[in-house]
Amino acid sequence: MASTETHDTPGLFRRVMESEHGFLALVLIVLVVGLGLATDRFLTGSNAVAILHQSSLVLIVAVGMTLLLITAEVDISVGASLAFASCIVMATINATGSIALGALAGVAFGAGIGLINALVTTVLRVNSLIGTIAMMMMLNGGVYLFTREAVQNHHQLPLFPKIATGFIAGIPVPVLIAAVVAAVGWIALSRTRIGRLFLATGANPRATRLSGYSPERFKTVAFVVTGALVGLAAVVLASLLNAGQPTAGQGFELTVIAAVLLGGTSLMGGRGTVLGTILAVLILKVIDNGIILLRWNQDLQIIVPGIVLILALYMDQRKRGHHAG
Amino acid sequence: MPDKTKQAPALRVSGLTKRFPGVLALDDVSLEVHSGEVLALLGENGAGKSTLIKMLAGVYVPDGGTIETKGQERHFTSPADALAAGIKVVFQEIALVPEFTVAENIFLEDHLAGRFGKVGWREIRRRAAEIFERAGFDIDPDAKVRDLPISQQQLVEISRALAHEAEIVIMDEPTSSLTPAEVRHLFQVIERLKSLGIAIIYVSHKLEEIFEIADHCTVLRDGRWVSSKPTAEHTNASLVTDMVGREITDMFPRTDRTPGETLVKVEGLSTRRLLKDLSFDVRAGEVVGFFGLMGAGRTELAKALVGYDPISEGTIRIADKPLSPHDTRTGKALGIGLLSEDRKEEGLMLDTSVTRNMTLATLDRFTKAGFVDTAAETKAAQGYTDRFRIKMARLDQAIRTLSGGNQQKVLLSRWLMHGLKVIVLDEPTRGIDVGAKAEIFALIDELAAEGFAVILMTSEMPELLGLSDRIFVLSGGRITGSFDRAGATQEGVLDAAIK
Repeated sequence: MASTETHDTPGLFRRVMESEHGFLALVLIVLVVGLGLATDRFLTGSNAVAILHQSSLVLIVAVGMTLLLITAEVDISVGASLAFASCIVMATINATGSIALGALAGVAFGAGIGLINALVTTVLRVNSLIGTIAMMMMLNGGVYLFTREAVQNHHQLPLFPKIATGFIAGIPVPVLIAAVVAAVGWIALSRTRIGRLFLATGANPRATRLSGYSPERFKTVAFVVTGALVGLAAVVLASLLNAGQPTAGQGFELTVIAAVLLGGTSLMGGRGTVLGTILAVLILKVIDNGIILLRWNQDLQIIVPGIVLILALYMDQRKRGHHAG
Repeated sequence: MPDKTKQAPALRVSGLTKRFPGVLALDDVSLEVHSGEVLALLGENGAGKSTLIKMLAGVYVPDGGTIETKGQERHFTSPADALAAGIKVVFQEIALVPEFTVAENIFLEDHLAGRFGKVGWREIRRRAAEIFERAGFDIDPDAKVRDLPISQQQLVEISRALAHEAEIVIMDEPTSSLTPAEVRHLFQVIERLKSLGIAIIYVSHKLEEIFEIADHCTVLRDGRWVSSKPTAEHTNASLVTDMVGREITDMFPRTDRTPGETLVKVEGLSTRRLLKDLSFDVRAGEVVGFFGLMGAGRTELAKALVGYDPISEGTIRIADKPLSPHDTRTGKALGIGLLSEDRKEEGLMLDTSVTRNMTLATLDRFTKAGFVDTAAETKAAQGYTDRFRIKMARLDQAIRTLSGGNQQKVLLSRWLMHGLKVIVLDEPTRGIDVGAKAEIFALIDELAAEGFAVILMTSEMPELLGLSDRIFVLSGGRITGSFDRAGATQEGVLDAAIK
């Protein structure tokens, strides 16, 4: 409160901290430089590709989750849905011999679950946190009605494993898929009419309705997009595991939501960016990677992101408090 | 009455100054108030009233100047200090514990200090009842505060002042959420407090109240002292001039206009909860005012009219087309829109830019192949900020940082940009400054002159009588009176409102 004169020329550090994603970018840079100094196995081409590869599944779903959180809703069922959808993908390919049909089935299943979540939220008016926890329980149980054990690869199509392990122009296929999803999400949110209305829906649903739009419609779209992206991720997952795995999605929803929140998207809706989510996913995966390379206790892979999340949200609060005052 | 000139004032403030980073919130302000006197503290938003009150309440520590009570200089570092010196502030946001009883709330400080053990519950109730007796309040000491209406919660706050033997009571906009009957009662309470020798500082925007209740007026503007005079030496116009800093010759300008075609035709409108069988129509170039007390159905009607809330019976036709399906998208397409009474909850996206707030209803016009043309959008927003002289630093600043009056102009622009035939204004001047009010009144007249049908929902009598061509009065969800401009009187309207 003391000196007001220095406010006009904030230092570089301060400007970085107060810019939209400066803090996240700074954290990422510090992590990369720090790990680069700590171990010579970090800053290698193959390790960079590995990190991107591991980021792709989370990022694909996190883009959808960013849109959903922006409309002030959340989907806790994405992990359970991912596992179930991976079984559907594999079973469909086994039955039809077509990867395209398998992928389609997975995406349709995910989108369908998203639609049900949307209807429970917008029509039955059940809080989406509760509604999607219920959906998670139903899917976790339901998948065992569908298959008692992992759905194995009976079709042996040579192209199938390539979805997860193949390269196009030197870039892993999952990374390409994630990049396309993120780019489309980024553009949609920042440049298009529907992106604006996602933001408006979360920022003030009643004002949005008074302005002649249906906030429920945008919430529904966000749920369905998130679900469809879960289906897409399930195709990659099934290929990666070379099986449909009923238990594969455990904890996945937490990683996704943690990344979206770390990326600066508000749990209250109305605020968030895809760029923030991308940076946050990379931060979490670099931390993962670092813990492995440094041969730390692997349980830290779960503990450290928790700490990072709290720190990040605390910094964000402080930043906003400063602006408000 | 003791001779005031010989006695030290109950409260004297001299040269009070407060700085916040980048702003001088209060600059060398002085005032005094005597026992048994009501001092009105007036000024627009940002004039420094809140800052001043918060320093008297011990919330802020002054950067300069002195506060004296009964001739003795005081230094407050916490609200407890101010209370100990006999100053009690009744803030707009009432600070009671909803789950506690009335008596517990009155002795809250003792409760928090763990002194209840000594005092005893029965004693607390007895003392509360005693205070009510002295002040003439009819409140049950055992009622839970959450079950009381705001007006009674206010009395509980005032009772806290009496319990602490406060000699100076400061009321911050005390009537902003009271009904006319409750306002009358509050004025009786204030008279009672005066007779008990308590000095009162009364902060309000409502000039008619000032003339009724205040002995003296002190006006602040931009953090500075402007004038201190007995109320008797003021006129409405002189107070407004002091507050705004320029003369407002005509609060309610009126262009000559002749009503055109019927734009709104409502027949037999009912809603499940409140409205019953409403029929009326509104023509182009007309301002039709709806008056009603709290709960009469003004906001319900406003929301049903634009398709926001469902209706159970009846029809609404806008420019001869039915509002069907009954939703806001159809309403917008037919050309009817609502400026809500609740800017924060139903109007603003607080952390979003001025531009994006303004273009929300018009987004489709700036969209090409799904993409928003931000250059065109910014240009359009710039046009409206110039036209309405909306004060702000940049178009991309968060609308949260604008004053209430400027926020309201942005929300009005949201609809004007879209281009409506009918605009429904629900309490359009709630919580905004006198200066900005005058601008909004002028704008309403301008809109009617341009051929808009304007439907005005208001609980402010001067606004209703000053702006409306025709008036309907609502009570219990029904129309209980209708007046034309010439035949409308305050008494007639109030009579119909309590039917």
